[in-house]
Amino acid sequence: MKEQLKKLTSIFDKAIGAVRSVQELEALRVEFLGRKGKLAEAMKELADLSDKERKEAGVILNALKEKMLLRFESQKNSFEQKESSALAIKEWIDVTLPADAPSEGHLHVTSQTIAQIEDIFSHIGFMRSEAPDIDWDWYAFESLNIPKDHPARDNWETYFVEDHERSRMVDRGESKMGKIVLTPHTSNAQVRELEKGNLPIRLISIGRCYRRQSDVTHSPMFHQFEGFMVDKGISVTHLKGVLDYFAKAFFGPMRKTRLRPHHFRFTEPSFEVDISCGICDGTGVVNGVICRLCKSGWLELGGAGMTHPNVLKAGGIDPKKYTAFAFGWGVERTLMMRAGTRIDDIRVMYQNDLRFLNQF
Amino acid sequence: MNILVSYNWIKDFLKTKVSAEEFSRHMTEVGNSVEHTQHLGQAFEHVVVGEIIELKAHPNADKLRIAITDVGQSVQIVCGGVNLFVGQRVAVALPGAHIRWHGQGGLVELKETEIRGVKSFGMICAPDELGFEKLQQSERVIWDITNLTDAKPGTSLAKALDLDDVVFDIEVTTNRPDAMSVVGLAREAAVAGLGEFLWKESKASKGRESKDKVSVEVLDKKLCPRYQAVVIAGVTVKPSPWWMQARLLSAGHRPINNVVDVTNYVLHELGQPLHAFDADRLDGGKIIVRRAKNSEKIKALDGKEYTLHDSMLVIADAKRPVAIAGVMGGEVTGIIEKTTRLVIESANFEPVSIRRTARALGLYSDSSSQFEKGLSTEATAPAINRAIELICELTGGHVASCIVDSRAMRYKPKVFPYDPKKVDELIGVTIPATRQKEILKRLAFVLKGSQIEIPYWRDHDIENSVDFAEEVARMHGYDNLPSMMPTGEIPFVKRDPWLTFERTSKEALAQAGCVELYSMSFISQQVLEKLKLTDGDAVRVVNPLSEDQRFMRPTLLGSLLEAVEFNQHRVDVMQLFEISTVHRPRKNALPDGCRRLIIAVVDRDGEFAFRRARGLMERWGRAVGVPMLSVEPNSTYELAHSARSAEVYLYTENPERVGFLFEISSEVARRFGIDLRVAVVELNLEPIMTAVSAHKSYTPPPEFPGASRDLSFLVDRRVTYAKLHCLLCSSHQLVKEVVLVDVYQGKGIESDKKSMTFSFELRSSDHTLTSEEAEMAMRVVVEKLKKTFDVIMR
Repeated sequence: MKEQLKKLTSIFDKAIGAVRSVQELEALRVEFLGRKGKLAEAMKELADLSDKERKEAGVILNALKEKMLLRFESQKNSFEQKESSALAIKEWIDVTLPADAPSEGHLHVTSQTIAQIEDIFSHIGFMRSEAPDIDWDWYAFESLNIPKDHPARDNWETYFVEDHERSRMVDRGESKMGKIVLTPHTSNAQVRELEKGNLPIRLISIGRCYRRQSDVTHSPMFHQFEGFMVDKGISVTHLKGVLDYFAKAFFGPMRKTRLRPHHFRFTEPSFEVDISCGICDGTGVVNGVICRLCKSGWLELGGAGMTHPNVLKAGGIDPKKYTAFAFGWGVERTLMMRAGTRIDDIRVMYQNDLRFLNQF
Repeated sequence: MNILVSYNWIKDFLKTKVSAEEFSRHMTEVGNSVEHTQHLGQAFEHVVVGEIIELKAHPNADKLRIAITDVGQSVQIVCGGVNLFVGQRVAVALPGAHIRWHGQGGLVELKETEIRGVKSFGMICAPDELGFEKLQQSERVIWDITNLTDAKPGTSLAKALDLDDVVFDIEVTTNRPDAMSVVGLAREAAVAGLGEFLWKESKASKGRESKDKVSVEVLDKKLCPRYQAVVIAGVTVKPSPWWMQARLLSAGHRPINNVVDVTNYVLHELGQPLHAFDADRLDGGKIIVRRAKNSEKIKALDGKEYTLHDSMLVIADAKRPVAIAGVMGGEVTGIIEKTTRLVIESANFEPVSIRRTARALGLYSDSSSQFEKGLSTEATAPAINRAIELICELTGGHVASCIVDSRAMRYKPKVFPYDPKKVDELIGVTIPATRQKEILKRLAFVLKGSQIEIPYWRDHDIENSVDFAEEVARMHGYDNLPSMMPTGEIPFVKRDPWLTFERTSKEALAQAGCVELYSMSFISQQVLEKLKLTDGDAVRVVNPLSEDQRFMRPTLLGSLLEAVEFNQHRVDVMQLFEISTVHRPRKNALPDGCRRLIIAVVDRDGEFAFRRARGLMERWGRAVGVPMLSVEPNSTYELAHSARSAEVYLYTENPERVGFLFEISSEVARRFGIDLRVAVVELNLEPIMTAVSAHKSYTPPPEFPGASRDLSFLVDRRVTYAKLHCLLCSSHQLVKEVVLVDVYQGKGIESDKKSMTFSFELRSSDHTLTSEEAEMAMRVVVEKLKKTFDVIMR
């Protein structure tokens, strides 16, 4: 038996020395170490030996198996090393070539801004809704305490929809709803919401508006977001709280707001809301020169105020029991004021130029 | 609306020591936003009075002269002014001064220089070079200040002409025409605690009973609730003294003559517009306030002729209109040098009529802008008295008539209830009643028990008790109010499912590589026609700014194709989408707003574009939970390539058509100037949205292994995949999935045939499939295929 094993060893040594590929190596492995391989054969023969001989031969056989395994392992490693260095030459690529990315989509910056605004307000319980962008005069003006002869109701500032039959009815005073207009603000959501009769209200209405103006800061079509809160005991201090929260969330924690008395028909008191300028940190001066972006450290965000009692009445709410505040600002304007946006002409936003769209 | 106002002028009525900066800040806080502050003194540094001693020709330039000028010492200045003379006093900018070259551009620092070989020490200035554009007469005319000052040469110009002033540019809210005046702003400042309010009304002129009278007849008292007039005789018309000119300049007015200047001065000081007529040129010595006759004409003071309408109010004499009431005077009765007798008008006009008249004529003036805000009938008297005082002082004239006063009705001050507690509730903090009342009193509100009487100059803007809260709060200071989060119940409202659907749709499409468009909601007649739509299909806008705003778009296709055309010169591959509401007209109702999605794939290869567009639609559908969208060929859609057009169905129990999938026809492409192939999906989102299910449920992977088989065959080119797929799927119960692996047309295959390879997944739900079972099933499939279509197996 010992002799036999010695012979086996020398055959193995010779054979493994002659192996030239991984495939040959694998074949050799099967030949010696496979289930029906030479070593297994030898193992079977052990059964015929005496106890003592079997023990001795068993030790040798195991040592031989161990040795073979090691040889196979090291031989395999050396083959793999050779192979991979061959691949490194054959499959060399320029890893600095430009990437091949899947084509990239873009949400319009207005969509992105609207989503941000919606999310900020939802954290403090303001639910978003939408009101029609083509609406009755009643919701856009009349119910908002805007008198019939107010300039905003002239065809100079607001777009009207043609409907001859309707116009005749309105002229005859037969219609509470009045003419049809392209709404110039999102405030048409206010009385629509009040009419639903569910109190209290925390509403953020975001939508499309139209005004007959076109220049660097005005697009005939734009978007507004309208905050509207109705509850018992709502006061100016609450309006300040909500505006401060929004300003910090949207513009950054260091920014401050300021209420400046102003005049709107559907609020009393009314304010312009200013935000401290992000360029000059509210100082009005950058490197000793007057800041070009703001007015003395402040930027005008938009209008706000305590809802006029007549508006609450128009929506069927008793202004003696409930008070409310509202604010309505331009989405684009608010975006343009965020430091770093650098959009200096609002009209570029709606030209569908891919060179613009692909930047957001 | 903005007003330019001199701080010195305000100080006539406000005893104050606060700096201009502090004034600006406080005024802004109480609602009169100071937008700019200009320190005039700084603009005149190194600008001095000079006197011309000698004039010499320039050796190298015909249009230039050398002026030896005394500026405290004698210097040589090269000057192109045509109106120079020896002994003339001029404004000289010395080196170091900041001037505006020829009245244009930014400020430039002046340096000692050489002009065409001659040294020039400074510059003799024209008015516009010093910021007085309104004084500029014509090119190359320098500012002659000989009659404006006696100051010694070398005196600083600011001192000589009393220009050491600050001019504020203040935004006044439209409800406060009373604050569009020097006195109004001084009152606001005083209440804001910036000083003591000193203004007193001018003494009422009694007028004079005499033969010299003016007859005033007001025929339309609705449009003219009050009209006051007085005759002033013995007037000498000439330029106003410099102090008045300087103030008018600071206010942005052009000085004209001492009469017109006074009317502008009083307008600026008190906010009440006035007008002066040449009394001798009023036909019949009469003033008739009436509506214009249709097509009546008037030549206004701006030199232009206006055709009037019977909705407009005019001031007429016996024969013709002599002024467009409240808007502008007429030329024939304007003040000229020869005028010696005047009629001064101080009147009140109905605001809406003024606004409409100004707008209809395209003629705006400081007067019309002030009237259209709504003025009190009681403002006319203080103004006419102030005008009488100033005109008599400046023109040497005297009052020659009684003051005519025509009123529609007696004045009754407005009164509203006032409760300090209500004010506190609305503001959110307690402001002691004594403090509240003090603020209101200083604003000239009169407290009468629990009522407040409104001063006349606020009678258009105070409409309600709630207005008192604003007056108290703004003077108390909004900065002093705490910022508090509202407490109380958070209302539970279900989120509008559309908003969720819109947002997930947009995000899914952007993630799939599409760029979102935002187009104008408008559409032009021209684009409607390109899309074979008529104007009955779209909501018409009555008053568009331009023709491209004539209608509201009834489809998203037009703006999308315009976007493709706009971008095609820079990129030839695009994936675009837009989600928006389009509008369809309805009779006597709000337009029908339909929510739409459009996806477009633009490419040189139309077939690729078509299949990619469909792929994007399906990917979007899966992402947002649309059950299934199927397409049916349809060659009748008129905007589509007739062989590349399909209807899209929402695959439910009753399949509903929800849109179209098509390549645009070459004709449509040509109309929009598009050179590329464009495949489009336009879908109605409302029916789709109702079928969407946000809930996802789990199907476990198959329990038993199945088998895969492939099938290749030749078939007629026009047999659609859909038909084949439908047949193959239902051909045997073990067939669970059929996927198209390859389609081939071309070399080696007859031209009217195509080769197709499908891969089949066969499976049983209760045991492991044997290969015999799979073979049997495939034989059935092949038989059915052969029976239905003319196929050759490969």
